[in-house]
Formats: sequence, structure tokens, C-alpha cells
Amino acid sequence: MSKIQTKSTRVAFAEALSEVGRSNSKVVTIAADSQSRYGEFVREFPERSFNVGIAEQTMIGVASGFALSGYIPVVTSYANFLAFRAIEQIRVDVATESLNVKMVGTDTGFSSQWLGFTHLALEDMGAISSLPNIAIIDPADAVETFEATKAIFDYDGPVYMRIRGRKAEPILPIKDRKFEIGKAQILKPGKDVLIIACGSSVYDSLQAAEILKDKNIDAMVVNMATIRPIDEKALSDLIPSFTKVITVECHNIRGGLGSTIAEFISERGINTQLLRMGVKERFGMAGSDEMLKQAFSLDGQGIAQRAEKFLNEKCGR
Amino acid sequence: MNIDIKLNNVEKIAEQIRKDSIWMSTRAGTGHLGPALSIADIMAVLYGRIMKYNPKDPSWPDRDRFILSKGHGCLALYSVLAQCGYFDRALLGEFCSKLDTMLPGHPERKLPGVEANTGSLGHGIAIGIGMAMAGRLANKDYRVFVITGDGELQEGSNWEAAMAAAHHKLDNLVVIVDRNKLQLGDFTENISQLEPLAKKWDSFGWAVKVIDGHNIKEITDVLSSIPLTRGKPSAIIASTIKSKGLKFAENKVEWHYKVLTEQQYKEIKDELSLEELAYE
Repeated sequence: MSKIQTKSTRVAFAEALSEVGRSNSKVVTIAADSQSRYGEFVREFPERSFNVGIAEQTMIGVASGFALSGYIPVVTSYANFLAFRAIEQIRVDVATESLNVKMVGTDTGFSSQWLGFTHLALEDMGAISSLPNIAIIDPADAVETFEATKAIFDYDGPVYMRIRGRKAEPILPIKDRKFEIGKAQILKPGKDVLIIACGSSVYDSLQAAEILKDKNIDAMVVNMATIRPIDEKALSDLIPSFTKVITVECHNIRGGLGSTIAEFISERGINTQLLRMGVKERFGMAGSDEMLKQAFSLDGQGIAQRAEKFLNEKCGR
Repeated sequence: MNIDIKLNNVEKIAEQIRKDSIWMSTRAGTGHLGPALSIADIMAVLYGRIMKYNPKDPSWPDRDRFILSKGHGCLALYSVLAQCGYFDRALLGEFCSKLDTMLPGHPERKLPGVEANTGSLGHGIAIGIGMAMAGRLANKDYRVFVITGDGELQEGSNWEAAMAAAHHKLDNLVVIVDRNKLQLGDFTENISQLEPLAKKWDSFGWAVKVIDGHNIKEITDVLSSIPLTRGKPSAIIASTIKSKGLKFAENKVEWHYKVLTEQQYKEIKDELSLEELAYE
């Protein structure tokens, strides 16, 4: 493998936002204190950049007022403060009316690292996915974040996009990159096991597939960047060909990707066994990104080991 | 522009709001009657004399915006919107009496003239700030009027929004506090003290005026002089009486969410010139 390029998803988001801001004068940013997440947009378009202070509920309310006046507001905050502190405003003001508000939760998964469990966003999708009408996107890397940011402004309706921190992350070593809201992408073909991942777990799942290859296990890896609306066609086409399916996400196994796939498989009556990899029945803790992924067996090595064990298990029926 | 010239008689509008509110809630057997009666005079002045709007074009971009942050007071809003001609008066009969009605127990935007879904307290001011900022950005001179309850101000979200509005010098934003001194469970001052309320708004950077919320002239005068201070949002604390106009219910805590029995309705029907309940 050639040298891996890296870039921060937060940087990619800000770059795309400026591009969107230049072509669409209706885009406004509302900040709850930190405007740095919007990057150059704030300097380039100060008249379209608003800061309401450390007040996430107000941020969502103000964004709703803008949306009701024909603007396309984007809000950002640490994902937990956006998705939990302001959940009731998101429900009543935004979701019921499908207002065109773009909500970007940052520092998700393990990417807030040493800030501890208050900041480690491992349940944000669960909160948001409990509400109707909101599209949920968890881009795999900076390249996808850039494309997804542009795409959410072409999409009419509320969106929750979860990105990560300032740290430069690996860019997927995949040439043909496509992003479309609601479309899965097969990144690596395979026949022995299907690994469906989102967010930073996509890269780690590709790493795991490499390790499994050495053990003669041929894993298919699918990037499911859109958790809602889930790509039902891709799931219908792919899942029945596998007896074992794995989901991988830097999130609680409830309320995010794993839950969504579990619902799909059981409701369709597909005869396959599912292993949901993620965080189970606990909160996060302080640590570096690498430490935490290792601790939760969500790095390439951990995913590969658990996948191998899962493949050797007899299906319990 | 205020299209409906019939609305010039503000006292009449207020009286009709009270009659409609009593009629709708008695028919439905549910509704927040007291909280609607306390804002009847304010609503009448807003829609009769102050705001520009066009019922034939509810989304007219230059209209003044009204948000009933205390969404439970919606009986008054429904009545005034019907009087303005946003929809046929016959629709008032559907208040809380038909599945997925356009007139539920808290207002929703599906009803023409309703600007924001409310019902959960402490949302209206922030939405109003967004509308006020958007108006300024679009170089429009419309104003945004928000009515909050007084008990509602116990929700912290109001105060974070109040700080932001003053910081952004939104003098196109007006908050009218329906200071009827009662909330669901008791008098506000017995539950979580609001006073000194005018000082609170003042210290948050708002221009404040305390008025009698049932004195049409006082309400008109203050709302005709917005902004009270250039560069500041305006807070009008309207001293009101919960259930105003329904003598036996006035200033009584239980009338927050209580309606008349048919018998009570019949007893006051002639005195207040109420319509027949006329259930279909």
C-alpha cells in the first residue's frame, strides 16, 4: 500500500462550506461560541455568520427562525451538546416541520479523545434517529466529508452529519470515490463475510479486511455513510448472499448503524447472523483515539480478530 | 398591510376572542381557557392595530411575525386568525374535536397564520431571534412579536435567548410577557419567584416597559412606540388577569386548564352573548 494521505474531517467540512457559501447566498452559519468550525466562511461572509454564545438550544431555535425565513442555516457544536442539550428544540422546531437546517455534530466517536465521556459522542445518532424526518450521515474520511457537505446543501430537509475532530485522519486508499446521500458503496469485494461500516470505522474495516485476507478470509467492505435513509436496495442485494454480517461503528451499537441493519435483517426475514461491533452498554472514557479504538476492539486488529471468531461460531439456531 | 378593515374595533376583537375561546373550549370539553383570556386584549391590539399582515398571502415576506411562545394560549390565536380571515370561522368548531385537527391544543404551522410550532415552553424567543436576524439580513423592516407566559420564564432557554437578542441589538424583536402571575400549579411567586421581573429584563439588556395588559390604550401606545429604545430588543411586561372576563374563574389557579360545563355555559350565555354550542 502506498503512503496513506491524511486530513481532518473538520477542515474538509469548513473548506466545502466556504465553497457552498460562495455559490449559495442563502447559507448562514449559527455558532454556539466556537466559530472556528466554520473556517474561512466566517471571514469571507461575516454578515452571514452569527454567534449566540454557549447556548445550543438558542442556536437551534435561531436556525429554525432562519429556515422559516427562507435561509439555509448550518449549526455545529460538539455532537453531544448539539444532539442532547438541544434535542427538544431539534424535535419541536426542526424535525416536525422538516426545516431545512443542517446540523453538524463534531468530535464524534473517539475523536474528542482526552476530553472524556462528556465529550465522547457515542450516542448522538441514537438521540437523533429517535426523531422522524432527519437524514443522518457519518462520512468515512475528509474526502467524503467534503462531498457530503456539498450534498447536504442540495438536499431539501433537515440533516444531521457527524464528523470528527481537528486531527488529520487517514484518507481511504480507494480510487473511485462516490458520495450520494442514501447510497452505499462497496469498497472491497469479498465472499466470506460482509462488513458494513460508517465513519472512521470504514478505514479500520478495510485494515481488518487486509488482515483477514492473510487468513484466507475474503471480506466484503461496504461504506454505509448514510444511516438514514438507509440504502435498502444495496442491503437487499448484498445481505442474502452472506451467512454472516458485521456492522462497525464508533458509536453505541444501539441507535446507529448496527441497530438499523439489525432491524432491516429481522424485518425482511433474511437468514443471516449479525454481529454489531461498536460500544455496548457503556459510556466512553478518556484516552487517545488509538487507545480507545484498541480498548473497544474497533481498530483494524480488533475488528479482524472478532470477525474471525464470529466466522468460526456456529449459528445458534 | 393590514387587509381586514373590519378589525378596527379592537374592543370588539377582544370580546370576540373571549367568546370564541369559551365557545371552542366548552364544545371540545378541553383547552387552556384561562391562559387565552388573559392575552385577549393584547392579541386584539396586535392584530387590530399594530401588525402588518395579509391573510390572503400568509407567507408574504414583508409581514410582521407573531409567535405564541405560550402555545397553550392558542384559543385566543385561533379566534383572532379567524377574525382576520386566515381561514373560515367554521373551522373553529374543529378545535380539539377531530383527529389530526388543524386546531389542536397547541398551535401548529399547518394552520394558516401560525408562524411556529409551539407548546413546549421556552422555544419562541430563539425562533423569533432567527426571524429578526433574517429580516435584518434581507433588509426587511418587519418586526417579530413573541408572547411568552410568565411561568414560562422559569425555562432557562428564554434567558440564554434574551442574552443573545440583546447582544445582537435586535430592536425589531418584541417580547410581551403575559404577567398573569399564575402558572399550572400555583402563583409564580410561590413556585419559583420571577420578581423583580422588569429588572431582570433590563439587566439582560432589553428596553422594558410595564403596562396594564387589559388597557387597550396602554397596549396600543406601547406597541406603537417600538423599538422602545433604538438598538435594544423590547420587553413589555403586561400585567394581566388569568381568565379575564370570566368572573368566577378570574385569578384562580385551577382555570389554567379547565373548561366550562354545559350548565355553566348556559348560565352565562346570555350575559356574554355567547353562541349556541350547537354540536353537530
